[in-house]
Amino acid sequence: MRLNSSLVESTAFEKHLVNRKRKKSWAIKAAGFTLMLTSMVDMFSMLVVFLLQTFSSSPEILITKGVELPNSVTPSIVREAPVLSLSKNGNLYLDQKLVGATTAVTKSPDLLLKKLNYIKNSWAKSHSDPFPGEINLQADKEVKSTTVSQIMGVLTSSQYQSIQLAVIGK
Amino acid sequence: MRNKTGLGSKKDLNADLNLTPFIDLLSTCVCFLLVTAVWIEIGTVEIKQSHGTDAKPNKKITYDLDVVYQGSQKLRLNLKKNGRTVKGFRVKGENFEDMMLQMNTIVQSKVLNFKNKAIEIASATVTPRSEINYGNLVKTLDVLRKNKIVNIGVLSARGK
Repeated sequence: MRLNSSLVESTAFEKHLVNRKRKKSWAIKAAGFTLMLTSMVDMFSMLVVFLLQTFSSSPEILITKGVELPNSVTPSIVREAPVLSLSKNGNLYLDQKLVGATTAVTKSPDLLLKKLNYIKNSWAKSHSDPFPGEINLQADKEVKSTTVSQIMGVLTSSQYQSIQLAVIGK
Repeated sequence: MRNKTGLGSKKDLNADLNLTPFIDLLSTCVCFLLVTAVWIEIGTVEIKQSHGTDAKPNKKITYDLDVVYQGSQKLRLNLKKNGRTVKGFRVKGENFEDMMLQMNTIVQSKVLNFKNKAIEIASATVTPRSEINYGNLVKTLDVLRKNKIVNIGVLSARGK
């Protein structure tokens, strides 16, 4: 009440001046919030062009957590197949599900072979063509090459003979 | 609307672009493309583990190449014809990258141009070693693939 007492007690002309000042400041603020449509449409168009250029319709595979893929200068297109991953901490995953420690799996690969055979059988049930034996192998770039080759040996023994090593294309 | 002089009672043509559906379309496109965008480009290096198959032996005389690591900075390239080694090339470098450069040069100048005659490598086999990590193995495969040797296998070693 005390704050508005000056306004209440002011004369008609003073009230008019105050109101005019308020209206003017509101008009200035309102002008500041006008949407700049031209810039917005420009920005949208550029975004659409950039995203269309980087658009890819080829199948994508998820990179398992804890796996840093090596770079390659001669990458081919990814094909849809089961994904086997060897992480840096020594775990082995099949389609993002933990199978066990890599050292344990290479010593007794029964569990991995069972899971691979299950995938192979379910593929044979749904397709009339012979099994292509394709598999995507992801491994951390710090993993020993001998460990990778041991896993490849297990895959080969289970009719997965076309192994695609996942890499980051430059 | 103001009538133009000399055009009768016809109204002016409104050539303004209706921005609302245009912005709607662009927003939808941006949302869809952002959701489906691929930020990391993943590729593959194909390996064909052909040993142990029931395929009939190829009668055509072809050369094969064995890549055998002998350490982290040296390797040996064995050129084979019908399963027999005809020539071996030693590759040595100051570090792994240098060794790969040397290997690339030898493959181009000596292997693919064996006895000054252009030859074709039917398949290559890489024998891994525990000192060599997977990233470096892929670099070796890259060198082979750059030289159009695409039928590559990795020997399933027990680890040295």
